[in-house]
Amino acid sequence: MVIINGRKQERRASMRKSFESDIQHLKDELLLLGSMVEQATLDSVEALKKRDIEASRRIYDMDLKINAKRYAIEEQVMILIATQQPMAHDLRLLASILEVAGELERMGDYAKGIATINIRMGEQPLLKPLVDVPRMAQIGASMLHRALTAFVNEDAETARKIPAEDDEVDLLYNQVYRELMTFVLENPQNIERANWLLWVAHNLERLADRVTNICERAIFIVTGEIKEIKSTYDEFEEKK
Amino acid sequence: MSASSPAPLGPFQDNLPHRHRVGAVWQWIFFSATVIGIFVLSALLLNIIDGAFGYVALEARVDPDTLAVNGVPLEELPKEELIRILQERLSASAFNKLNDEKPFEERSQANVYDLVIERVVKYQVLETWSLWESLTRSAEIRARVAEEFPQAELRFVSWLTVETIRRPQSSEAVNAGVRTAILGSLWTIMITIVVAFPLGVGAAIYLEEYARDDWLNRLIRTNINNLAGVPSIIYGILGLAIFVRALERLTSGAMFGLVDPTTANGRTVLSAGLTLALLILPLIIINAQEAIRAVPQSLRKASLGIGATKWQTIWAHVLPNALPGILTGTILAVSRAIGETAPLVVVGASTAISFDPNLFSRFTTLPIQIYQWTSRPQGEWRHLAAAAILILLTLLLSLNATAIVLRNRFTKRF
Amino acid sequence: MDTLDNNRYVIQARNLGIYYGDFKAVTDVNMDIERNKITAIIGPSGCGKSTLLRAFNRMNELVPGSRAEGQVFFDGEDLYAKGVDPVEVRHRIGMVFQKPNPFPKSIYENIAWGARIHGYRGNMDELVERSLRQAALWDEVKDILHRSGLALSGGQQQRLCIARAIAVQPEVILMDEPASALDPIATLKIEELMQDLKKDYTIVIVTHNMQQAARVSDYTAMMMLVNDGSRSGTVIEFGETTKIFTRPSDKRTEDYVTGRFG
Repeated sequence: MVIINGRKQERRASMRKSFESDIQHLKDELLLLGSMVEQATLDSVEALKKRDIEASRRIYDMDLKINAKRYAIEEQVMILIATQQPMAHDLRLLASILEVAGELERMGDYAKGIATINIRMGEQPLLKPLVDVPRMAQIGASMLHRALTAFVNEDAETARKIPAEDDEVDLLYNQVYRELMTFVLENPQNIERANWLLWVAHNLERLADRVTNICERAIFIVTGEIKEIKSTYDEFEEKK
Repeated sequence: MSASSPAPLGPFQDNLPHRHRVGAVWQWIFFSATVIGIFVLSALLLNIIDGAFGYVALEARVDPDTLAVNGVPLEELPKEELIRILQERLSASAFNKLNDEKPFEERSQANVYDLVIERVVKYQVLETWSLWESLTRSAEIRARVAEEFPQAELRFVSWLTVETIRRPQSSEAVNAGVRTAILGSLWTIMITIVVAFPLGVGAAIYLEEYARDDWLNRLIRTNINNLAGVPSIIYGILGLAIFVRALERLTSGAMFGLVDPTTANGRTVLSAGLTLALLILPLIIINAQEAIRAVPQSLRKASLGIGATKWQTIWAHVLPNALPGILTGTILAVSRAIGETAPLVVVGASTAISFDPNLFSRFTTLPIQIYQWTSRPQGEWRHLAAAAILILLTLLLSLNATAIVLRNRFTKRF
Repeated sequence: MDTLDNNRYVIQARNLGIYYGDFKAVTDVNMDIERNKITAIIGPSGCGKSTLLRAFNRMNELVPGSRAEGQVFFDGEDLYAKGVDPVEVRHRIGMVFQKPNPFPKSIYENIAWGARIHGYRGNMDELVERSLRQAALWDEVKDILHRSGLALSGGQQQRLCIARAIAVQPEVILMDEPASALDPIATLKIEELMQDLKKDYTIVIVTHNMQQAARVSDYTAMMMLVNDGSRSGTVIEFGETTKIFTRPSDKRTEDYVTGRFG
């Protein structure tokens, strides 16, 4: 099976070298976009933790670059679809890249949201020192990194395992939620500052959710089937 | 589909049995046509073979047995004895004439023997029978010969022998051969090919590759096609006017000082060859044109596309690829020329040529010889003509075979 | 438009029109063909694509009654100027045709003949090998060089024709629907080969297969009949292939590439 695949791969590579290299280039760009988003996420939480307004403003610039990169990738995908008539695996890959680039851009928006909160908070101190939130950011960034690697390598096995880690992020989110609620109940004046932090946690929770979408796409490229991966601990189910 | 309940066909009534029947009838008609063709050709060939062999009743004016010396049969006598017999039996002038043609000292025993048979023994054909008659009515023939010609000798002969090919024309059927006619045919055809092939192919190349497609060229093409359909006797008249009369100095050889201008005669091998060349020129042009046209345009484009000149394209690609077709056309044309009689009669073929022809000599050809022999009243000449026809057929076949082998060698290169 | 830049552009057509007798097949074409790029000419049937292509190496002249107006500059020199020998033009601007048309000679001779008639003085074996390697055919035919070129498969024959064109070392190779008679695999091989060849040559390709133009070319010229009832074709849009196929500026190009033409 592997040998057959290997042969197939070899023949295709020799037949459409330029198309293959275009796709490889596109994957590299996607990885670059992913690492930009990853960095933006970690930086935005770090800036919040340190209350570094300047650093948060830099996230804004970063977001512009992320958006631009997303559009560039989109353009490239369109050109490849228009000029190379991708079929089957190639078509699934290009359609998925389009989708994943969009996901990454939205993740970048979450980081930008976190930066906005830091800037809005102005001189006000944090309601509480950040412990669980950076942990969420780290797990999210790590998931993103590995999911994107699995996507680019078309590694369905790894992609299937990653969404389970979302449960940990969800648990942390619930923990942060309950903790902040106690602050609000204690003193309703904390409501705004608690809300801000809740927003940050929510953004990070959403980010981890979106990683699941990337994993779904990675599996789709390999198997050709789009299947929603249900995490054991679904946000909406719990709330309703 | 079951035969009992054909599926409804809507607006179609396919009527299959009838259609198949019509097809079968036509197939049968075509088969019959083929059979008739084969039958006719076989009949023709059998008729010729029938004439070429059979019984002959011969009577010798002098019985060869009486010429035997001391019991040694005539054909085993030494040369000197044979010369002595000739000297005795022929007039002095006839004997000297023979000596003038070729001194007796230089002649072989066989040659002198032939002379004795021809001049002294003088076999005369009394009656001949065809192969079929000879085979089926052998006893009857023997009885008749014994009764009517008691002096005669009945022989079963093949009119087609090595001797027939080797011997020149003669006034006696038993001594006559087609040597001069074959040589005449070969000479004529050689001239025809040498003249008509380059001229025809050259004209075809010009017309196909260079000439523009305007009204003048279309007119020329149409006329060449028409010329191919002109009766061959017209070419004979043309040849007579041009080569025999107008160009007499050239065709008789007088121009080269080979003959005396006062007795020069244009009715030569050269005139015949040129006339036949004229006759087959349109055929060669048309066939060569077809062959050149059949070379795919893509090949010319390929050549021109890498910067070859027109001539390089024609020489390296068009001609080699057209050559098999050109050769096939030429074979057909030459075959026709070999068999032509009418124009050569007009140009002035001689009946009896007893010497080997050359470029500027009077000539005869195989078809002419056959034509003349068949029109003689005596049966023996018709038998000889049958033999000559077999020789002509063999000659044609071997010429064609050579040409086909040649063509295949060109084709097989790639 | 009138500036000639023969460093960047190898062929520059100016107000080019082509006639067959009284019929004007191509009208008023202005286009610059960039060096070491692949330029595709697309458009509906009968719009003069092949005619335009053949005007670039004066192959049109083989059709009786054809003539050109305007100029075609090749390395800055007008191909249609007086005294320019079309034979020389075709040496420097080679051509590959729709139907593979190898000479009915050996593979070796197919390559060598062109070089020989142009008085090539180098090592012929080397030239044959180099040309066949460049055409990605060497490995397949190196042991059968003396077999007939016609014994090869269609795709191999076409690559042999490309090798034959390369052997006389032209600057430009014109390809007139080079893959239309080939199966998809052979087509892809030719297309990939074109990508390799553009390092050394400029390629202009006519194709009725839009997808092929999209796949292989850097620039695309869209041809269409002039809308005045004259049945004469012209280039209505010329630009980067990616632009032509993702956001064409002419409505007619858009209609054609989206299949809403006619």
